[in-house]
Amino acid sequence: MNDKRHDRRDVELDRYFALARLAPPDISGVERNFETRVMARIRESREPWYAWAWRLAPVFLALVFLLAGWSISYSPAHPADPVTMLASGTQEVALLENLTGD
Amino acid sequence: MCALGVSMAEPSEDADLVRSAIAGDDEAFAELVRRHKGTVLRSAARFARNPAELEDLGQETFLRVYRDLRSFRGEAPFGHWLSRITVHVCYDALRKRRREEKDVSLEVLATPVADSSTGNGPSAQLARMILDQAMSRLKPEDRLVITLFELEDRSVREVAELTGWSESRVKVRAFRARQALKRHIGGDDER
Repeated sequence: MNDKRHDRRDVELDRYFALARLAPPDISGVERNFETRVMARIRESREPWYAWAWRLAPVFLALVFLLAGWSISYSPAHPADPVTMLASGTQEVALLENLTGD
Repeated sequence: MCALGVSMAEPSEDADLVRSAIAGDDEAFAELVRRHKGTVLRSAARFARNPAELEDLGQETFLRVYRDLRSFRGEAPFGHWLSRITVHVCYDALRKRRREEKDVSLEVLATPVADSSTGNGPSAQLARMILDQAMSRLKPEDRLVITLFELEDRSVREVAELTGWSESRVKVRAFRARQALKRHIGGDDER
């Protein structure tokens, strides 16, 4: 009984294979101008590294503008307390002006 | 057509074109692609799920050919070497997508296959669809072997040459793939 089922499945599978062989895959759409697209990809893969650098130029430019905008708008609050200024040690001129009243 | 199913036309010209392409002649390589694209795409189409994937497989094959052109020694026809690369590219693609295809519905497998001689059987297109779905459940090695063996009608020796595996490994894989396909197509009543 089991063997018969195996036989039936073998026959069925062979029938599928035979039918599938009759239907060769349709490649006409992909085949058209295929060599042109392959050559384009090959040329692209051959491009030197600086070609990619040029493509990234707009990104770098945008980054420069962002940084410039940020640095213009950035204005740190000057500490008014002379002791804090003294402790930070970075605002010597401002401290001097504060103490001398200039 | 030769034993490996590749075009044997003008083999010496193929070798000339390879030499020119290595020397930097793009038009020579384009001519090689033009000559062999049909063979490559027909082979790859047995493994691709859609035209976009077929395009990718075809392009990947020729890119790999271009990269490895210097390793072509010319001892065998260019077509044989190209077929091996095609098979390896398709095998790599099968392994990559193994996980994606695990959940494919197999409801369509219930469709019975009538004897084609009666004229009442499913179309060849439907048979391909059913087989594609059943084969998507196979391991990549099994699917590769059964496709080359049953759908491309290649011999064990040819499959061994194309895959680089031993003939006994090919036979074992083909047997296992067939058993698994019978299980998938006939339902799970065997378990």
